[in-house]
Amino acid sequence: MANALAVTEAPAIKTSGNARIRRTVDQLATVFLWGAAFFIVLLLAVFIIYMFYLGSGSISWHFLFGLPSEMTAGGGVGPEIYNSFYILFMTLLFTVPISLAAGIYLQEYAATGRFRQAVQFSAESLATVPSIVMGLFGLLVFVQSLHWGFSALAGAVTLTLLNLPALMRVTQEALASVPDTYREASMGLGGTKWQTIVRVVLPSAIGPLTTGIVLVSGRIFGETAALIYTAGTSVAHGMGAYDLNPFRSAETLAVHLWYTHSEALIPDVDRVGNGSALVLLVMVLIFNVLARVVGRALTVRFTGKA
Amino acid sequence: MIDRENLTPEQAAGAKMNIEGMDVYYGSFHAIKGANLKVPDRHVMALIGPSGCGKSTFLRALNRMHDLTPGARVTGKVTLDGTDIYAPTVDPVSVRHRIGMVFQRPNPFPKSIFENVIYGPKLHGERNSAKLMEICERSLRSAAIWDEAKDRLHKSALDLSGGQQQRLCIARVLAVEPEVILMDEPASALDPIATSKIEDLIGELKKDYTVIIVTHSMQQAARISDFTTFFLLGELLEVGTTSDIFTRPKDKRTEDYITGRYG
Repeated sequence: MANALAVTEAPAIKTSGNARIRRTVDQLATVFLWGAAFFIVLLLAVFIIYMFYLGSGSISWHFLFGLPSEMTAGGGVGPEIYNSFYILFMTLLFTVPISLAAGIYLQEYAATGRFRQAVQFSAESLATVPSIVMGLFGLLVFVQSLHWGFSALAGAVTLTLLNLPALMRVTQEALASVPDTYREASMGLGGTKWQTIVRVVLPSAIGPLTTGIVLVSGRIFGETAALIYTAGTSVAHGMGAYDLNPFRSAETLAVHLWYTHSEALIPDVDRVGNGSALVLLVMVLIFNVLARVVGRALTVRFTGKA
Repeated sequence: MIDRENLTPEQAAGAKMNIEGMDVYYGSFHAIKGANLKVPDRHVMALIGPSGCGKSTFLRALNRMHDLTPGARVTGKVTLDGTDIYAPTVDPVSVRHRIGMVFQRPNPFPKSIFENVIYGPKLHGERNSAKLMEICERSLRSAAIWDEAKDRLHKSALDLSGGQQQRLCIARVLAVEPEVILMDEPASALDPIATSKIEDLIGELKKDYTVIIVTHSMQQAARISDFTTFFLLGELLEVGTTSDIFTRPKDKRTEDYITGRYG
């Protein structure tokens, strides 16, 4: 059949019947997918520009470092920014070692078996608990039963519970990205399992590990619901707002943003709110950029490859 | 009945490793069925056979690499200088110290060339930096890669070519001063020039080390080995001097494989 055609027709490359339709569909799909991706970039750009438009007027030295006011206009958010970093630091202090250890155990030791399944299932269930529920749990257990009161510690421990599953997942995925051939080589040279993990696996996973930790840090920094009933909605008066006592109440920037708009008595709610939102946004963006930069730098430092 | 231990008495007397009645299972799959083999000291022993015949499985049982594979089980006796490496009192880590392994794909660590070579000695507690440098140079020289590596010792090993990486991996094994070196198709991912460098190197290594090498290339086995073992479907069918195996195989199936009747 094909031969018969070749004899009668000019020897051109023959296209099948629906080629034109297929090409059109192909082009449409490309445009649509590109559009969807571009929409996300556009959304972020519009959002950021709008936030800057609203908030940049409130930003001043006094706003960033000054004390908040209860009733009158002109309060700052200095202690709130400090508290956000303080609680973030404390949370990471609890979360990173535990989730690192659990992730290493699951990925490197418990390859199969019921215990691994049980831990995995628990972590996944924990990860789906809404943060407000975790906040109420923190209120009942840490604030009330343990008598810690509204405190930085209660907030940090609650955030630890909230973020353990995510960081454990980050650890597992970072370790899974390390090829087994590295492990084999190390064990083949007479390394113990622990030596292999410390000297080869973790240094090779340092990039994704750091990126994951910094990204989770951004989430912790912006967390609100879990902190309202645990770290509280107030800061100590005067310079006491900047001390390291973990048992004082510690309103964070994100909580302050919520609080000013829902409960506060100050007249310049919009100014403080917009300014706080802008600071929060910029901080979280910095975390995201930092995650990439630091992750890449550490990968180069520890493995010599980009 | 096939003679499974047809090394001459002199050859067998100098055996470095002795495998008796070895079975390997992956779960319920019986991968190696009752293998017996004597490996002569300071010679090259080639393991050949079609894909999936169990030669790599056999090799990995010789330094307890199967300990790392969930579900894998090894029974029988494997001795190194008369000591059973599977005895409960033996530490698998020290076994792998004495029996090194070079893998199919070059697998340098993502570290500098220097760090790669001294990785093993550092694991075993060597901290003196002059000593480490000396080990590094000696190992790289023995693996015939010193000239290419000496000016870039502190550059990433991943920037080396595949053949250079494989010689680096051999240097890394030599640095822990093993007695036996297991090689699992070490040249299969390399081009012909890199392959011939590795083959020359193996010829040098057998002066000081016992080398057991899995290869899918019969020409390679013929070129580099003193003894050859033929595996088929998990059974160790025949072992002998390489010239005997290639010119006067005793088993019909060995002959069929040698003459190209199996893939």
